[in-house]
Amino acid sequence: MSPETGGEIALSLRGVSYTYPGSETPALNGISLELRKGEIVFATGPTGAGKTTLCLAASGILHHEYGGTLGGAITILGKSVRDYRNMGEIGRDVGVVFDDAEAQLIFTTVEEEVASGLENLGLSREEMQQRLRAVMEATGIADLADRAPHTLSGGQKQRVAIAATIALGTKVLILDEPTAELDAESTAAVSALLRRLSGEGTGVLIVEQKIGELAAIADRMVVVKDGAIARTGVPAEMMQESVQEHPATGAARPPGPAAPLPGEGVPVISVRGLVHRYDGVVAIQGLDLEVASGEIVAVAGENGSGKTTLVKHFNGLLRPTEGSVTVDGLDAATVPIAELARHVGLVFQNPDTMLFAETVADEVAFGLKNIDPGASEEPVDAALREVGLLHRKTAYPRSLSRGERQRLAIACIVAMKPRVIVLDEPTTGLDACESGRVMDVLSRLRQDGHTIVMVTHDMRLGTEYADRIVRMEQGRIVDNSGTFEEEPCLKSCSTSPGRAPFTASTRSPN
Amino acid sequence: MQYVTRESAFHRLHPLTKLIFAIVVVALAVLTSDTAMLAVLAGAVVVIAVASGLARDLLRQVPLLLMLAVSLLALTILTIRSGEIIGYLVPQSVPVIGGAFPVTAGAIDLALAMSLRFAAMLFAFQLLVISTQPRDLVHVMDRLRMPVDYTLMFLIALRFIPSLQLEGKRIHEAQLARAYNPGKGLAGKIRGLFPIIIPLVSNSLGKATILGLTIDLRGYRSGRRTPMRDLSPGRADVAGICCMGLVVAGYLAVLLV
Repeated sequence: MSPETGGEIALSLRGVSYTYPGSETPALNGISLELRKGEIVFATGPTGAGKTTLCLAASGILHHEYGGTLGGAITILGKSVRDYRNMGEIGRDVGVVFDDAEAQLIFTTVEEEVASGLENLGLSREEMQQRLRAVMEATGIADLADRAPHTLSGGQKQRVAIAATIALGTKVLILDEPTAELDAESTAAVSALLRRLSGEGTGVLIVEQKIGELAAIADRMVVVKDGAIARTGVPAEMMQESVQEHPATGAARPPGPAAPLPGEGVPVISVRGLVHRYDGVVAIQGLDLEVASGEIVAVAGENGSGKTTLVKHFNGLLRPTEGSVTVDGLDAATVPIAELARHVGLVFQNPDTMLFAETVADEVAFGLKNIDPGASEEPVDAALREVGLLHRKTAYPRSLSRGERQRLAIACIVAMKPRVIVLDEPTTGLDACESGRVMDVLSRLRQDGHTIVMVTHDMRLGTEYADRIVRMEQGRIVDNSGTFEEEPCLKSCSTSPGRAPFTASTRSPN
Repeated sequence: MQYVTRESAFHRLHPLTKLIFAIVVVALAVLTSDTAMLAVLAGAVVVIAVASGLARDLLRQVPLLLMLAVSLLALTILTIRSGEIIGYLVPQSVPVIGGAFPVTAGAIDLALAMSLRFAAMLFAFQLLVISTQPRDLVHVMDRLRMPVDYTLMFLIALRFIPSLQLEGKRIHEAQLARAYNPGKGLAGKIRGLFPIIIPLVSNSLGKATILGLTIDLRGYRSGRRTPMRDLSPGRADVAGICCMGLVVAGYLAVLLV
């Protein structure tokens, strides 16, 4: 549906401004936005632009749960958020999927999770069962019904959170970064589901940093910048402009020492016949891999394909059930983790899993002092300079932006000067600008002689930046031949605005 | 400690029956300090678990109980002198300090009684949790007119214990990748906790707001719930309640005689 065709207004924000308690700068600055029933609006923008605050405002959360100064008018299905008694009442009209999937999973099995909201709607048992089955099928989680949320992968958790919200059957849906951790297949399933819901009259507001498949199904796209709407337009046209402004030619691939081809020279990582079993489940089944010194290798694959399990063998966090892993001449099956840490650094997906120190400099010094207690401050400064954070060295690490925290996590490893740096999903949750900064850092590290292995479900990232993409499926390497320019799935992979094109398929009007 | 999907006899009981069972075991365990009666009580819970095919899940708590028992034993020996002296931590043959820390029968009895009491209570609670879906417990607690906040606190505690364990493991791995080495000695060990505890607490607090909002948006404070599954009590529940009634009566009779 296009806004011109009319339709009842599902959600309306008029001149909405908001300043968080204790802050002097407004997070929202006179935002006006309308969402009609059956319409999908895609909102994007850089980190810190106010996208999540927009979601909180539109769902009435700012008014009912946050302090701060809120101005303007917000209505849901024609009713002001001020007239709702509490969030429980709003929840009957608006479903919200937050960006932290884990925090939204309350129950101990997936089925309970999806059923939990249904039991509060006054439906008959038959209706509940029917809706439960339909939602679980549509989101592809039917086979996870008895699984505990903490045992799911990030992508699976995200699908369960979406299913539990959609099951409520609200007429307005607000989704904050719903596909950040989803692979191409799951993103396509979520897109199809949202399209169907909009066809049934649901108004859908999607907020995403990366312009991908969900933008292509939207009727309208808005760009949020500095707490205001900077631009509104037709998604296909805006994406096309983005492609023309920033053609992806593979030029992003960093220059550096000529990377040897696989099989040439002495490999810095050598994996032979690797098998890994978790509690009887085979996560890696007979895998061989060699990584040459100075290479940038992307390990790509869908959620649950064994990517992270593979790289955890490189620094001894996991030991092979069968087979061997040699890194920089050391047997990673037997050498202590602390010793391997001198040779291999692993940057985890979420930088917050490691940040604990009072200052950025202390955070970086932690790993360095663990391997060299007498180390000077020079390597700390050098690592911070490398990632562009030297000016923040006295800041509290958790006060940094998401992108800065990611670069700090890289600096923590760089300071230890390992020969190999492994990064697990290095750009998840980052906007195009921050993703670009992180990838620039990796380019420089490669020029300095480091070997880089990055785990990603974003094939486009690998195609642009890596010398080689290793594609995994169900614990096996299914393609180790190089880039995947011709892979059909690439066309549906999410991509960063300003960095790569997206083959837009416009949504046909309802 | 988490719900385990299985088709056991205990699973099939009404959640209220299981809740009453746990309350009865806790009450009986608190009412007596007699080690024999406490042993019978803990043993009975284990027998029920074995009969329901849930023994293996219960046995996971044994290492914790053993640690608790050893700690209690050490504490009672060091602090209680009651009854016959049956030995000494430092043999009397040792010069100067020989005969220090006498081990008395009263101290051992108390440690044993407290350990058995904990075992009975923990096993009963464990049986309730692993055999009952949390949303069924929520429905029962609703019917008992428990304040919704307490019900949700209970639910969240159950749900997030394994998540916290997992997050702790993730943080530990991230610090190991930075050659993290827990310090030596007590001070070192305490200092060594910071790199784990600080991210764990900070990350958990960050999730609390979203968790609260999700609970509200799903209508958990509305107080109008329709259980998806039929939660009517069956014959097994009637039989179970009758058995518990008899056990309580017998237990009280023994205590009062």
